[in-house]
Amino acid sequence: MKKKKLIQCAGLLLFSATAFSQQYNQENIDSLIQSKVQTQVARNSKFLISGYTNMTARFSKEQSSFSNIGFVPILLWKPHQNILVEAELETGLEGSETSIELGYADVSFFLNKYLTVRTGKFISPFGIFQDRLHPSWINKLPTFPVGIGEDELGVGPTSEVGIDFRGGIPLGSSKMNYSVFLSNGAQLITDQGIPSKQGTLSYGNADAISKKLTAGGRLGLLPFSNSSLELGVSFRSGNVGDKNSAYKNVGAKMYAFDLTYVKQLDFIKGVFDVKAQWNKVNVDKADYIDPDDPTGNTIYTFDNKRNSFFTQGAYRPSMAQSKFLKKTELVFRYAGFNPPDGAKDLAKIKQYTYGINYWVNWRTAVKLAYQNQKNDNAFLVQFAVGF
Amino acid sequence: MKRNTIIIAVAMILTTGLLIASCVSTKITDKSGSQLWSENCQRCHNTPPSSAFTNTQWEVINTHMRQRAMLTDDEYKKITEFMQAGE
Repeated sequence: MKKKKLIQCAGLLLFSATAFSQQYNQENIDSLIQSKVQTQVARNSKFLISGYTNMTARFSKEQSSFSNIGFVPILLWKPHQNILVEAELETGLEGSETSIELGYADVSFFLNKYLTVRTGKFISPFGIFQDRLHPSWINKLPTFPVGIGEDELGVGPTSEVGIDFRGGIPLGSSKMNYSVFLSNGAQLITDQGIPSKQGTLSYGNADAISKKLTAGGRLGLLPFSNSSLELGVSFRSGNVGDKNSAYKNVGAKMYAFDLTYVKQLDFIKGVFDVKAQWNKVNVDKADYIDPDDPTGNTIYTFDNKRNSFFTQGAYRPSMAQSKFLKKTELVFRYAGFNPPDGAKDLAKIKQYTYGINYWVNWRTAVKLAYQNQKNDNAFLVQFAVGF
Repeated sequence: MKRNTIIIAVAMILTTGLLIASCVSTKITDKSGSQLWSENCQRCHNTPPSSAFTNTQWEVINTHMRQRAMLTDDEYKKITEFMQAGE
């Protein structure tokens, strides 16, 4: 009897141990499979976080500071063979506050070889700087050229909310690209609070500010089969005045010409990179409240035509023997801004920027630059990384 | 004024020389993925190595670049195949 009980106890213990060991092994196997699957899913996921980050230090006579700290994730998702979803979140530190702005968020449908339709908020295909060169790991200098951007000196659109038709077309040994869009109109700024902003435009509005949609686009031609040269022309036209105000009939026409030349040349043992863009914005004449009159009863007007340009040359001795020289790049940029005659608090600006970059790897740069501009000379250091 | 004139003159001379140096006539459709990769990527940024991303990631990134840089369909396909072959 006693022996039988002992055998039963031993059997129970053995069964429990086996069951536990099986459960333990199963958990281990499940965990291993899950980890393997997760790795595989991550490798095969068509969702990707890309983007760039930068930190800039600026030293001038008036002040020296670490500024322009930015972290810009770009979310990319390809849910279908012919669909791409993309969004860029521009986060930055301004003073002690964090700013978050939606750079773009759009869906692209690749309808055929020659036509892609994208809709949402997208970067305006106006010239090349905003559309292609603005990320800090691509921009060869720590600053934007004067006359580009969303401040009161910006000439030309930055982003659009609407629909864009674009694509690339081979033409034998040449090729061309096009982008044609319909979007919400820009908004004319009439507030006398910031005099230099009166008569400027804000872009990328989700609300219908003006009566009609705005139309625009860019046409690019690459005449050489090595794609070294691209010439582009851009246009944008539409109403900019608030449809519920006295400015409802005010319109604006914009033009830009751009040039890109990039080629590795044997006789200079390196890559020579030239970029240039000229922008013009003509806004119809309108009356604005004179900010110099505290009563707000005086109006003034001006011929609201402004233009800006930049031309940039860079040389990187990529064929040099020295590893250090291979990663070094010299850059020079000449930029200018011409304000409308009679506009308040705006003056002509010429800007010369001299830079030297060291490329730690293909997407990481340390940039040193000296920017020469009337009453605003500065030495800049920027660390930029693309990811 | 003098500085601007010098800049413009130097730019014009360089442009003329470079245009002559760039005149080649190969059909784009006859080019390999590696040629298209080196010629197109560097128009805006440094050329990335294929090891920078996985094959699937390359597919997503190059779809993004097809839209952004307005690559032709042939360029997109050849560059993607080239980057995936090197992973």
